[in-house]
Amino acid sequence: MAEAIASNPFVDVSVFLFFEDISDKQGVEGFTNYIVGQAKSLAKSVPEEEYDNWEDFANAVVNGESVLSSFENIKQISSNGFVTKVCPFAKAIREYIKRLGNFNPVHMEATDHYNHTIQPSAAHSACMMHQTYRNEVAKRIKIGGKPLQYAQIAAKAYTGKIALPPESWKKVLLEKAGISETQGFMEMRENSCLYVLYVQE
Amino acid sequence: MMDIALYSLVDDMVSKAGTEGVVEYWLRVGESYAERMGKEAYVGWPAFNVAMKEGRTSLTIEGEVNVLTDLAITDKDGDVIGYVYALKTCPMAPTMIRFIQKIGPIPDSDEDVADSYNNRIRDSAVSNYCITHQRFREIAANNITVAKQPLECLHLANKGRMGDVKMLQENLTRINVDDRHIKSILRSASCVFALIVKGKSAGEEIAE
Repeated sequence: MAEAIASNPFVDVSVFLFFEDISDKQGVEGFTNYIVGQAKSLAKSVPEEEYDNWEDFANAVVNGESVLSSFENIKQISSNGFVTKVCPFAKAIREYIKRLGNFNPVHMEATDHYNHTIQPSAAHSACMMHQTYRNEVAKRIKIGGKPLQYAQIAAKAYTGKIALPPESWKKVLLEKAGISETQGFMEMRENSCLYVLYVQE
Repeated sequence: MMDIALYSLVDDMVSKAGTEGVVEYWLRVGESYAERMGKEAYVGWPAFNVAMKEGRTSLTIEGEVNVLTDLAITDKDGDVIGYVYALKTCPMAPTMIRFIQKIGPIPDSDEDVADSYNNRIRDSAVSNYCITHQRFREIAANNITVAKQPLECLHLANKGRMGDVKMLQENLTRINVDDRHIKSILRSASCVFALIVKGKSAGEEIAE
């Protein structure tokens, strides 16, 4: 694995403020569009990957060798269920609160906007960036010649609130991940994010 | 991950708002960041310099700072009006290293935005992030008082990732410090600035 280099929280916090400034000028829609747009651009910049089979891919992800795990430590909990223990934005969020106080409400407004217009899966504005990045990066990974598919099941905010998909989606996604709803909730006690990675048969 | 996203964000913003638009965004971010840090008051320079060394001031949230107490700035009467400080590591350095390691070369938009600022506003940015960082310091300094006198931050010099140096001669002249001295400080620092009592200079006082 490559050397782990920590970011300077000064920079992390200023990026949150950058988005707040965008929202001052272009509203919540502008905020959402920019955060989604830049996550797509970031994903397009990463190198493509190909794996012979699912096992090779899963090992690369868990060992931090895949672009999918460039910014987070991922654990496999079932055949297709994966979790991230610590949200890669947790430090930035903590530093923002420590230095500046309460989060600007515009972050939750943008999150609601994303949940209503794109997909109901974000617990915080950072989730919009993170989930878009994962979704776009998955398109750049081929396993046995087929593109990787990604779907978010649950995301936990710093407030403890968990964003979940509608009941009808949840059932399908948990089935795809190969875990029960109870197992899913158990995982969310210990982790910040639960999602399914799979290849369309 | 938040910091890594910054480069794609700037790239995206340049295509939508142009380099000038991004400069304006960054300047506002620096201002609002500093304003939201609140005000600070210190009884005198020794108390303030200890706080700087211990990383307790709003100015030191950017990283560890060398307090160069041997470089006291005095006015024409010999009174101490401020000191020179050196930021050891640029806050963007870890992000740059990680971006290069995980993603690839730093996008051209980084330099384009810095050039736009250097050509139109002040020739002191070695990367696009310098714009917000330097503005942050200037506004944050105004919110600090030492012996009941508000401070002013004078950016002196900074060093880019590839070793390129920017130096603001007019600020060096104002505090009467030789540029060779600042260059020697930059050997082990990424950014050098002075904090002085607002409106003062090593020579005559500056009119408001």
